[in-house]
Amino acid sequence: MATERTDVVIVGVGAAGAILAAELAKAGMRVTALERGPRHVQADFKAMDELRFFQRQDTRPNVKRQPVTWRPNANARATPLRVLNYGNQAGGGTVHYGAVSWRFHEDDFRARSQTVERYGAKVVPEDSSLADWPLSYSELEPYYDKAEYDLGVSGKAGNLNGSIIEGGNPFEAPRKREFPLPPLRSDQSGILFEQAARNIGYKPFASPHAIISRDYKGRAACTYCGFCQGFGCYNGAKSSTLVTHLPEADATGNFKLITLAMVYRVNSDNSGRATGISYYGPDGSDNTIEADVVILAPFVFDNTRLLLLSKTAKFPNGLANSSGQVGKHFMAHVAARVYAAFDDRYVNNYMGPNAQKHSFDEFNGDNFDHKDVGFIRGSNIAVATAGLEGGPIASALGLVPPPGTPTWGAAYRDFFAKYFARHLVLLSETENLPYADHTIDLDPDVKDAWGLPAPRVTYDWHRPNEVKQVAFMQEKLDELGRAMGATHVWRAPLGAGQPGPHPQGGTRMGSTPRNSVVNKYSQSWDVPNLFVVGSSTNPSMSGFNPTLTIQALAYYTADAIANRYRKSPGPLA
Amino acid sequence: MSKPDESRRAFLVGAVAGAAAGAGAVATAALVSEAPPAAAETGVDPLAFGARQGAFLNAADSETVAALAERIMPGAPGMPGAKEAGVLNYIDLALAGAYTDLQEFYRHGLAALETHCRKTYSESFAKLTPAQQDETIRTLEEGKAESFTWPAPRVFFDTLRTHTMEGMFADPVYGGNKDFSGWNLVGFPGVQLIFTPAELESRQAFTRSPVAGLQSKAKTRST
Repeated sequence: MATERTDVVIVGVGAAGAILAAELAKAGMRVTALERGPRHVQADFKAMDELRFFQRQDTRPNVKRQPVTWRPNANARATPLRVLNYGNQAGGGTVHYGAVSWRFHEDDFRARSQTVERYGAKVVPEDSSLADWPLSYSELEPYYDKAEYDLGVSGKAGNLNGSIIEGGNPFEAPRKREFPLPPLRSDQSGILFEQAARNIGYKPFASPHAIISRDYKGRAACTYCGFCQGFGCYNGAKSSTLVTHLPEADATGNFKLITLAMVYRVNSDNSGRATGISYYGPDGSDNTIEADVVILAPFVFDNTRLLLLSKTAKFPNGLANSSGQVGKHFMAHVAARVYAAFDDRYVNNYMGPNAQKHSFDEFNGDNFDHKDVGFIRGSNIAVATAGLEGGPIASALGLVPPPGTPTWGAAYRDFFAKYFARHLVLLSETENLPYADHTIDLDPDVKDAWGLPAPRVTYDWHRPNEVKQVAFMQEKLDELGRAMGATHVWRAPLGAGQPGPHPQGGTRMGSTPRNSVVNKYSQSWDVPNLFVVGSSTNPSMSGFNPTLTIQALAYYTADAIANRYRKSPGPLA
Repeated sequence: MSKPDESRRAFLVGAVAGAAAGAGAVATAALVSEAPPAAAETGVDPLAFGARQGAFLNAADSETVAALAERIMPGAPGMPGAKEAGVLNYIDLALAGAYTDLQEFYRHGLAALETHCRKTYSESFAKLTPAQQDETIRTLEEGKAESFTWPAPRVFFDTLRTHTMEGMFADPVYGGNKDFSGWNLVGFPGVQLIFTPAELESRQAFTRSPVAGLQSKAKTRST
């Protein structure tokens, strides 16, 4: 049992935690961070091994040691999810992610107001807890900019200070300056997507990625090896916080990282302040760190779990939960896929970065008129791979053959041998609305390797709004596949009700302590020296991947702590 | 051909033994390959596969798994299947290493399959005709094989299919995808550190051989 003292303790150094660690350490605060997994070095990723990293999910949580359970509704029994797609090491999910780095649209921050203004209050489903964010895009813009330049994001501006720029996303929120790096090169699948989308009349563009297209800040440019999403990057071109922010934190001399540490509790006193955290070391030791500021930055599930595990007599419903909102409004994208296969050409879709290579944005957010479609909000539409990546294991498991072709035997072999290098995947990731009964709580039966109750998700995406969204997007994907001239176009089966990519919610931010867990600085309303960061705070989720917004919000919080909170500890909003 | 294969096998067995002992796989592999081969003295190679005992699977189970994998990914002239790729070897080594927690799953699943085949055809799976084998696999896939309790027949099939694909397409260092036969089947070039702009934009098949990877490292280590 060891006890240490520091200024700031951070739980988890992933997309958000590593940024906070670097920024606060640079500001002169002593920072101690805890990480459940190891800290890899770049050389660890030179084994470009699809079995180990994609299929056996090294770099992601072991589902037996660290289960997350799921049930479709409160009457069903929860069972452990079979794959968890978040990170389990220093750098978190940014080590293995596809590095798609969007800024949210302006209307993503005010989805309820925008919907009501344009279509009337009746169109918001009665059971949805759709809410505006407590901050606007323009407040966050400088922090998006900083994140893009610090990380190294490659892309093409579509809206520079209100001027629409050819070649970028014309629907993007206005940015103050260009991306720091030009877009990544297109492969054959991106070229096919670009041509087909233009022919239909959309405005496609290379999706922005936190992967450097040219040498940048001492790092070498991407070489398009394709061992990308699902893998750590062999040459460090992927802008994971492992290679961008942790070295910065190290250089300050104010930063200490404890790896293989399982934080199980946030400690608090009777005055209502957080005093620090307790964690199990790799040897089973029970340790405590005392700190002036406690920042929770693990993945979505563990933000809720830690708050619920940290209940006291003063906080009987869990820490920071006087609103009763902790664990509510859980969301995830619903991924619909359409396969396109070609007899007249190879696509070689295993090349290059895998995630959302090329996109168009006509059906995202409120970029199109929803008056007659029967649902609100939308989805990005992109070209991608059958699994997280395009290698043969991911494709054998993710490329479900068309109706009439079996999944095994000579006919399957012939199908796969012919189309492995001749297919691509069209993808939509629709924006789930928040619902109060989509929740994370503590599983009463399933425990993790430390004996702690597993996070339990209660969720089923089959809500009327979501079902109509998905059906609409599938038709757009079909149309695109046909416009590409593909020989075969067919739909992937949709998942059962379980959460898809990019889980969010559980500790939503808001404008009052009554209906939210944290304020716009990700600061607990109840416990002012406790910050809960990451996409668990998102009140709504956008049809875009969340990571760059998580990172912009981390900068926003770091700025508020270093420049305001430190001088005058107390509520920031 | 036989010499590199033997040394690779020695490396793989070493890696498994190393993982089991919690020791470094490299050091153990070196010991195994330097030690005098037991087979030469006794005439029995305890770690060979096929009709004899493997790293985990016994002789009968080896035959069943090999036959199942071959029906899932059958070989044909010019199209290497599970047998040619060494999928049995992959699964055997995986069950003795990374998938030790699936040993009972396989034992029970294979026993239930044997019961099903004896009852239906009065013969073991490996001895059935290809048509009977396919009919049996369809029964598993449809969840209709009544001899199964745990694992459920559909889950057993799904697992076998997944492991067959792993054995076809994982880096050969894991014991399958022999001589890149799985990668050659589908036209995957393995590890390529760089794709050029022209290669990214090409509509043609990409035919360069794998340039680097675990496979080449394993060969270096074991010689």
